[in-house]
Amino acid sequence: MENLLEVKNLRLYYHTSKGAVKALDDVSFSLKEGETLGLVGESGCGKTTTGVALLKMPSPPGRIEKGSQIIIDGTDIVPLSDKEIRKNIRWEKISMVFQGAMNCLTPVYTIGRQMLETLNEHRMMEEKQAVELIKEYLGHVGLPPEVMNRYPHELSGGMKQRVVIASALFLKPRLVILDEPTTALDVIVQAQIINLLKELKKTFNLSFIFITHDLALEAEVSDRICVMYAGKIAELGTNAQIYGKEPLHPYTQKLLQATPLLHKKVDTLAFIPGTPPDLINPPTGCRFNPRCHCTMEKCFTEEPPLIEVEPGHQVACWRCVK
Amino acid sequence: MSEVLLEVKNLKKHFVPHLTLAQTLAGGKKRVIKAVDGVSFSIMKGEIFGLIGESGSGKTTTGKLIMKLIEPTSGTITFDGEDVTFTNKAKTQEYRRKVQMIFQDPYASMNPRFKIRDVLLEPLIIHKMHGNRAEQIERVLKALTEVKLTPPEEFLVRYPHMLSGGQRQRTATARTLILNPKMLVADEPVSMIDLSTRAEILHMMKEVQRDLGLTYLYITHDLSTARYFTDRIAVMYLGRIVEMGPADEIIDNPIHPYTQALIAAVPEPQAGKVDIIKKLPISGEIPSPANIPSGCRFHTRCPYATEACANNPEPELMDAGNGHFHACARWKEIPKAQ
Amino acid sequence: MSQFMEFWNEFKRDKSGLVGLGILILCILLVVFEPLIIPYKEAGTKWRSIEYWQDNSQSAPPVWTNLFTKTKQAASADLRDFSKTVDADGNTIYQFHYNYQYDLAPYDLIIRAVGTGTIPLTVSVMRPDKQVIELFSTSLYNLSENEPIRISILNSSRDSALSFVREFESEENFGNIQTMSAGVTEIIFSEAKPGFVQNQIPLKGNYIFEIKVSQPIAEEGQEIPKVYFEEPHISVVGRVSGLLGTDNSKRDIFSGIIAGLKWALLIGFFTSIISVFVGVIYGIITAYFGGKVDSAMMFFWDYFISLPVLPILIVAAAIFKPSIWTLVGVLIVFSWAGSVKTVRSIALQIKEETFVEAARALGASHGRIIFRHMAPILIPYSFASMALAVPGAIIYESTVSLLGLGDTTVVTWGQILNDAYQGQAMLTGLWWWIIPPGLAIAIIGMTFAFLGFALDRILHPKLQTR
Ligand SMILES: Nc1ncnc2c1ncn2[C@@H]1O[C@H](COP(=O)(O)OP(=O)(O)OP(=O)(O)O)[C@@H](O)[C@H]1O
Ligand SMILES: Nc1ncnc2c1ncn2[C@@H]1O[C@H](COP(=O)(O)OP(=O)(O)OP(=O)(O)O)[C@@H](O)[C@H]1O
Ligand SMILES: [Mg+2]
Ligand SMILES: [Mg+2]
Repeated sequence: MENLLEVKNLRLYYHTSKGAVKALDDVSFSLKEGETLGLVGESGCGKTTTGVALLKMPSPPGRIEKGSQIIIDGTDIVPLSDKEIRKNIRWEKISMVFQGAMNCLTPVYTIGRQMLETLNEHRMMEEKQAVELIKEYLGHVGLPPEVMNRYPHELSGGMKQRVVIASALFLKPRLVILDEPTTALDVIVQAQIINLLKELKKTFNLSFIFITHDLALEAEVSDRICVMYAGKIAELGTNAQIYGKEPLHPYTQKLLQATPLLHKKVDTLAFIPGTPPDLINPPTGCRFNPRCHCTMEKCFTEEPPLIEVEPGHQVACWRCVK
Repeated sequence: MSEVLLEVKNLKKHFVPHLTLAQTLAGGKKRVIKAVDGVSFSIMKGEIFGLIGESGSGKTTTGKLIMKLIEPTSGTITFDGEDVTFTNKAKTQEYRRKVQMIFQDPYASMNPRFKIRDVLLEPLIIHKMHGNRAEQIERVLKALTEVKLTPPEEFLVRYPHMLSGGQRQRTATARTLILNPKMLVADEPVSMIDLSTRAEILHMMKEVQRDLGLTYLYITHDLSTARYFTDRIAVMYLGRIVEMGPADEIIDNPIHPYTQALIAAVPEPQAGKVDIIKKLPISGEIPSPANIPSGCRFHTRCPYATEACANNPEPELMDAGNGHFHACARWKEIPKAQ
Repeated sequence: MSQFMEFWNEFKRDKSGLVGLGILILCILLVVFEPLIIPYKEAGTKWRSIEYWQDNSQSAPPVWTNLFTKTKQAASADLRDFSKTVDADGNTIYQFHYNYQYDLAPYDLIIRAVGTGTIPLTVSVMRPDKQVIELFSTSLYNLSENEPIRISILNSSRDSALSFVREFESEENFGNIQTMSAGVTEIIFSEAKPGFVQNQIPLKGNYIFEIKVSQPIAEEGQEIPKVYFEEPHISVVGRVSGLLGTDNSKRDIFSGIIAGLKWALLIGFFTSIISVFVGVIYGIITAYFGGKVDSAMMFFWDYFISLPVLPILIVAAAIFKPSIWTLVGVLIVFSWAGSVKTVRSIALQIKEETFVEAARALGASHGRIIFRHMAPILIPYSFASMALAVPGAIIYESTVSLLGLGDTTVVTWGQILNDAYQGQAMLTGLWWWIIPPGLAIAIIGMTFAFLGFALDRILHPKLQTR
């Protein structure tokens, strides 16, 4: 299988009045056709930023820095103009289900009208044709066509999320970025949505980037997992490498230990003390060093490189450097 | 451990939304939303009691009823042997001192214009406790230490937006502890916090509970935290409890199909599940509480439902031994979850 | 503090807001330094005193109109610098220098002083061509203590002016002159040569006015009475006057505008602050309690909002003694309703916020929730709507004043406009009487509108509590 997406040395800084927030610092990963890549990490580690960077639409003070490469289907989209991106990339090749999008549906318009608008934003087509298309996609996400005439407040959270997912699929993109698509939903609806996504992936031969902070959920959807910390990749490995045995990065280990398990009663859960660092002045050396339980001297002076410890398994930790 | 602190009997809350003028003209009938529809349970002193259910099952409404933030349509609430369902102002105020609530959204539960100091002083000012301001500050500092926000002085002058989600939820907990309550109602206290901090908050809450001998009503839709956190669990569906019992018992030997579905839906961090489409022993979405199905209210989504389930009167909670109760008429026929 | 800096950083980016702020600061400086700025210090309190303004010229255009005309008209001035000498006979001589550089002579020159007792007095002028005209000589008898002295040259020096003319004019010419009304000041300020009265050529240069206070002669057996003659000065009643001219009652319009500024601000501030405060609290209360309270309060509100303010204001002003405070009172009564609807809808949102519920769960009283939790959130909105309410209040006052129902003890822009209307300024072309007060009202309204919009834009999004 060929690489659908290749991200090389991606850097995205938010140039705020207080300084540059280094939200993404030298992030590289690739994604194969038909694969699901999971992005996990605590709040503020740059998951959403990665998503919007791939669409080349960072929120205002943000800018993709020089030297970054986002190669989709063999073309680097970083140098492309906004017009070209809109015409050939956004929604045509990559689309995104934004974080909290289901709560951002306008209460005053019907679902159909809002879906039409999304559609028109990306490709003009005749109204009749568009309505047919919308109905077709509502069907794909398991909603009856009447939903078109309903208002957001008449739908449950799960139905709204389905609507948002349908809107991302209109133009048959090859890659869909799903940013916390189930965070606000309860477990049953979450499981239903995950099942739906898996089915859609098969039907449309999609690739996903699945963003969440829930490691347990990631285990059920992603072929490969990319653990991010403070704008950098801490560990990247296959599902089996992360969940099958002990992961290698202390951050991943801690995150896993902090996940409560349904079928195993524990007395105390581990947790990571402290909070993620300020991304304007990140700590020198390894960015995780203030919260790590197994630091060495080198962790405070030099940034650990992301190295491949076994095929397909990359870790950025000095402990893993032989 | 065997003394009952809070007892709720046949509690109901039916919302009757006002019709708009247009609806009235169109001859619309008033809808009755049966958010809580006959809930009974009792919580022991020093116990952590979990209330579990999907979105819309009436958990928050039950919590608010217990907090006396809304008035029940019928039923009784007994606290510490005293009927507190309808009380006068003074009694309510006294009750408020004993029962406190932690809200779901740590970002919204504190006034954004209050400094942490003011947030924490508020209960003391309202209840005129702990004497003068200096003594009150003393109490505030103590509460901050209790929830492990140290050094406490540093937090006094901050605004809520200057705290992380976890720190905010700690502050919210501190605010409830300041009045030395007997019971805390925690409505999804960690569902909006990061996974890494979630464990920390639950751990802290558990410690506080042990140290101060508190009783918790813990509301969540996430069974995995409930397993870790609670002693007993009541599973709620459409305003009614369908299964209740010790946490381990409920999760390891669920009887009611709804509980089984809830358990099946919980994701677990194990390899090799990517290509499997999970079998969920439940279909569709939760019906509207304005239109509750006849018979067993779960029958519309139940994979084991028969015609009888829809036609027979609604099953009451039945004892299955070991303090395990359930409300499934066909429990003998239902296969055990693996 | 950092919140303020954040706000300021936002505000800085709003051009119109900055303009508004700039003008507001300027206005406040003008009010604070009013006594230093206006030429007529008591303009505010003596606006309606005929006496206070009597030395001014009537309906004179602003001084700067000279810049646009070929014949430069004499500007009003007050000559206060003098030199005082005592001659051998014990007469006191006061000399005033007047540098005359115009083409048209002033209307009049008025000798002003205060004096006590009997004062013999001679006034003369030495012109740049060294001609001396003795303007008049008179004795003021039995002045009471520090009685103001006022002598108009126009009235007192006609004879001397004529005799001065006679020196230069032929008999035949002179006969004509007597019948025409040759202006005294025109004679004084013209080149002296035959035919000069018909064909005046201005004599520019330094004029020295001399006031001689003679030593009175002692009556038999009595001491020489002491002469009190103090604070002499000469008012030049010009043909153009002040920065903004004068009206037909000789009042300096510039002084009036500046003196009116504080009332405009006061009316604006008081009305907007109190009415917005009342409106905000009302809105919060109706939203917070909801149900029957809400219905009743909104019914009452509906009634108020549908009352026409202006007619009622006019009736009220006609019934009550129109003082600026009753006016402010009436304005408050009618403008608090304006903000209620918006406040109510915002408060309905705040009411649903978890922190309000949390406060209730803690046992907070209604008052505490309303004043401690909900009202502060509305402060930004209040600021914005206060700023936006100011222009309305100023304009209402002006309208009432324009209809002649204003408070007559103070000067407001509306009253200046009303006087202009009464004085038919439009018909007589006294544009300087209408445009400045009108413009002032417009500018101050705009200032607050700018400020209000800027505040609204910056602070409103912050209503979201996260
Ligand atoms: N528009 C912005 N301006 C400035 N900083 C920003 C902006 N958007 C994001 N950031 C910062 O960039 C960092 C990464 O943010 P991002 O939204 O990508 O995090 P995330 O991993 O998606 O977190 P979450 O789980 O909370 O969604 C954070 O530190 C955030 O504060
Ligand atoms: N004030 C109200 N008026 C009308 N209906 C209400 C009101 N409050 C709650 N409901 C309805 O009652 C039902 C139960 O709501 P509740 O908030 O108790 O559910 P929940 O179990 O807490 O769900 P979630 O997990 O989403 O918080 C819902 O269908 C809700 O729409
Ligand atoms: Mg995000
Ligand atoms: Mg709830």
